[in-house]
Amino acid sequence: MQFSSLAGNVALQNILATMEVERKKIASTQKKGYYFIGGGILLGIIGSVLGFPMPSIIAGLAPVIYGGIVLFKINDELQAYKHTYKRDVISEALRFLDSSLTIAPQNGIVAHEFIHSQLFTTEPDRYKTEDLVSGRAEKTAFYFAEVHAEYKTVTQTKNGRKTEWHDIFKGIIFVADFNKNFNGSTIVRPKGFGSAISAWFSTNLFSFSDKDVIKLENVDFDKTFITYGTDQVESRYLLTPAMMERILRLNHNSKYSISLSFIQSRIYIGFPLDRNYFEAPIFKSLLNPDLLNEDISTIKFMYDIVKELDLNTRIWGKN
Amino acid sequence: MIIAIILVILIIIGIFFYNSLIGKKNQVTNAFSAIDVMLKKRFDLIPNLVEVVKQYTNYESETLSKIVELRTRASAGNISDAEKAQIDSQLSTSVKGLMVNVENYPDLKANTNFINLQSTWAESEEQIAAARRSYNAAVTDYNNSIMMFPGSLFAGMLNFHPVPVLETAVEERKNISAKDLFNN
Repeated sequence: MQFSSLAGNVALQNILATMEVERKKIASTQKKGYYFIGGGILLGIIGSVLGFPMPSIIAGLAPVIYGGIVLFKINDELQAYKHTYKRDVISEALRFLDSSLTIAPQNGIVAHEFIHSQLFTTEPDRYKTEDLVSGRAEKTAFYFAEVHAEYKTVTQTKNGRKTEWHDIFKGIIFVADFNKNFNGSTIVRPKGFGSAISAWFSTNLFSFSDKDVIKLENVDFDKTFITYGTDQVESRYLLTPAMMERILRLNHNSKYSISLSFIQSRIYIGFPLDRNYFEAPIFKSLLNPDLLNEDISTIKFMYDIVKELDLNTRIWGKN
Repeated sequence: MIIAIILVILIIIGIFFYNSLIGKKNQVTNAFSAIDVMLKKRFDLIPNLVEVVKQYTNYESETLSKIVELRTRASAGNISDAEKAQIDSQLSTSVKGLMVNVENYPDLKANTNFINLQSTWAESEEQIAAARRSYNAAVTDYNNSIMMFPGSLFAGMLNFHPVPVLETAVEERKNISAKDLFNN
């Protein structure tokens, strides 16, 4: 999907043209702010090197403070600009893809649902979510949002307690209505060294969890993922040979290893990503024809999952 | 003292392995009964299916009576597991044939009851496939642990024997997709 196909959209072009004026204003104000701060710091450093630190630091402080105020004052406008971008530009691009798609920038997938999805074993201590996109591809309703979940570790050092934050997950969580009925839960996680050992332990000695390791006959699938489930038969009912192939393909098309879970008639998929999506550019023109390419291909990728996993085939007693 | 500790450790390991073997053997039995449950569920669909189809078609009576006969044989109660599996396979083929012929009866194809039965049938088809795969996984797991070291040391002594996996009939392999049933 190229932006060029959106180029004919007059409404969108008008919005972008109006926003471009605003963007230029914000960009130049921000540049001004940064120049003052940079200049102030430079003044302090040069002065200190030349042998009169005190007066030069005081002299440098003024532009730094001024630069800070400039940035602070433009912040409200910047937030409004970012919000308008999501509300008008991204939502127009979504509608272009499928009229059922909508974006709610302030909403996301709540922490409770993230934990409930069981995609990850660690519960988050800090949780951020935004940009909820929801829609329907034929018979299948789905939604996805950006999620950043972290846990903290506190260590005792000689300078006191030190808190560190670690990522549990950063990326997009995709949720869709699954096309088969089921009662238990099935979790598919990427295979790592630790998880492989714990899986061996629970298969051969005893398991601490209410879920069994499901050994599947697709060798590639079993090498890539570890599957846990509350019911051996049900997990295989969901992960048919065809479904395993589709999941492998999906995993292959994603940059990082995906995790999946099947819980309460839904499928959850976690796609780790290293960039923020749907963010308005500040120092790049809005009129650049490649502007929306990356965002649209992300949306398209999510939208196509329904087709890719064949979720619209509803012949198993669930409509 | 050291010998006693080693002995205790060996006994504990032995108990663990023995228990895990028993667990795996039970898993095999358990997995087989899951297939049985699914088969029963499918056999129970037959009377309804026959009833609905009968109302709309005049020409399929031969297929229908064959299906009814197979169903009666399956629920007779005194048949072996192998026979049951064979009946199921024949039944599956006959019903598939019937579903394909439904194309000739637009009224039947549009009947809500029939559509429901069709999807329940497709559901049971995949559930049986899943149950069979679970059984085979349980059997492979069990066979591996009695044929590999250290299980192989005492499996024979304790009367553990390998169990064969279920072979998929050529016919079933060909029609693995339940989607074919719908012919669309």
